[in-house]
Amino acid sequence: MISEFLSYGFVQRGLLAGSLVALVCAVLGVFLVLKRLSLIGDGLSHVCLTGVALGLLTQTSPLYMSVPVVLLSSLGILKIMDKIKIYGDAAIGIVSAGGLALGILITALAGGFNADLFGFLFGSILSVGRVEVFWCAALWTALLLFLLLFYRDLLAASFDEAFAHTRGIAVKRLNACLIVFTSVAVVLAFKVVGIFLISAFLILPPVTALLLARTFKQVLCLSAAVALVSVWSGVFLSFVFNIPSGATIILVNIFFLLAAYLFSRLGHFLKSGEENAD
Amino acid sequence: MPSIITARNVCFKYTHTQVLKDICFEVQKGDYVGVIGPNGGGKTTLLKLILGLEKGKGEMCLFSTPVERFKDWQKVGYLAQKTTLAQSRFPISVEEVVLMGLSFDAAHKEATAENLQKVYHALSLTHTLDLAKRIFGHLSVGQQQRVLLARALVSRPQLLILDEPSSALDAASRDMFFGLLGELNQKQGVTILLITHDTSEVGKYISKFMYVDKELVFYGDKEAFCRSQKVAEKLGRFAQHTIDHLHNQGHCPLGCSCEHGPQAGGKHD
Repeated sequence: MISEFLSYGFVQRGLLAGSLVALVCAVLGVFLVLKRLSLIGDGLSHVCLTGVALGLLTQTSPLYMSVPVVLLSSLGILKIMDKIKIYGDAAIGIVSAGGLALGILITALAGGFNADLFGFLFGSILSVGRVEVFWCAALWTALLLFLLLFYRDLLAASFDEAFAHTRGIAVKRLNACLIVFTSVAVVLAFKVVGIFLISAFLILPPVTALLLARTFKQVLCLSAAVALVSVWSGVFLSFVFNIPSGATIILVNIFFLLAAYLFSRLGHFLKSGEENAD
Repeated sequence: MPSIITARNVCFKYTHTQVLKDICFEVQKGDYVGVIGPNGGGKTTLLKLILGLEKGKGEMCLFSTPVERFKDWQKVGYLAQKTTLAQSRFPISVEEVVLMGLSFDAAHKEATAENLQKVYHALSLTHTLDLAKRIFGHLSVGQQQRVLLARALVSRPQLLILDEPSSALDAASRDMFFGLLGELNQKQGVTILLITHDTSEVGKYISKFMYVDKELVFYGDKEAFCRSQKVAEKLGRFAQHTIDHLHNQGHCPLGCSCEHGPQAGGKHD
């Protein structure tokens, strides 16, 4: 059954694109969760709706139309935080609400909802094309290079931004780079899991990893591994039971999160038992 | 004496609220300055302006270089006010936290044997060497504060900027903490700028006081501080009465060597 499953071209493309997007989101998500910006995925996914609606209205690719819209919005979130001095969640809420409202307005002007739009809302990993696979691979390569070059700086800036600044680290530029990567990842992920489930891709694997890992490198690797296994098992289960792939991937992720929580509680329980025995 | 920090007509506003107005001062090499003032008086904002974490009007220089262009960050050690940065889930060891203090250039970022030697030396100074392998988020707030002091010291800075560093420490740790700062100042000539509410405890180490309340109310040595009429007005009758009383008994709470209290000394502003 597995060999039959893997023999289809659309399954291969879906798995490849899904794996690459999941890896990108899982790694970026670690930084976003630790910076308490994890809901940025949710906010930007709402903004995606504006890009999709613009694409449908102008008969251009929703993917290409969404990239500049989401990029501008994400940089807008950083500017609002910096200039108006409000917390990240409020800035994300402002941009998210604006993006959603604008998307709905444009959709109404374009003649209401249609099948294409629902495809983007709920995702369809098995309808991914070669172009999306190429962009996913390019994004993953760029993110790996970025991590290799700036690992220590990213670690310092995630832990304590003010102190990182006093070491001469360009914190604002690093944040801007992370946000740009996130924007592109969100746009690519909405094809795979749909715009409503993108934030889960950015939050669930990192939180699962943070429950188990002891070092920052372990968190990055474990988060990537959880995301990868979730995509593969989610796509396989959706193929076998003929159920929506995006939702299945997320539920598999949640299963891993619960398992990690129980495992970490068990670890604490055994450790405290040993200490009491001593 | 070379100037370490120079502020010229520095002003800062948060949207429409004036936080600091027309601040001018100069901190020289070897000074140990206690920054005091009421809550919301702008002390922490002043430190952020010195470090370039906030941008205001006027000119702020570190080691005679405008802070916007300042690059020699290894000369500066910074310890922030007790914050919520210590996320218990942040997966980072004490060793890695202190190593961050060396990340001012590429050569010092990695955990090489030479860099780790510096890390362990800094940890031993703050009596936290036994915590080196522990997860930072699992430590008590007082232990975290001592580790963060080690991070501020690891690059052997010429200037230490500390924002209420002793607020989370117990009595024994506070003695160790201020004793270490005093030693660094007196034996190694490290310049220190310290925000504190605990004037009586650190008074014996400090050489100068800076009183900030939206503006620079006072900046000068301890003797002048004790006799300052402006400071007396700001501190209020009760606090001033305590200082007067102790002066009359020959025990200045700030450890100054002046022979007379504010009444006897008259106005020195």
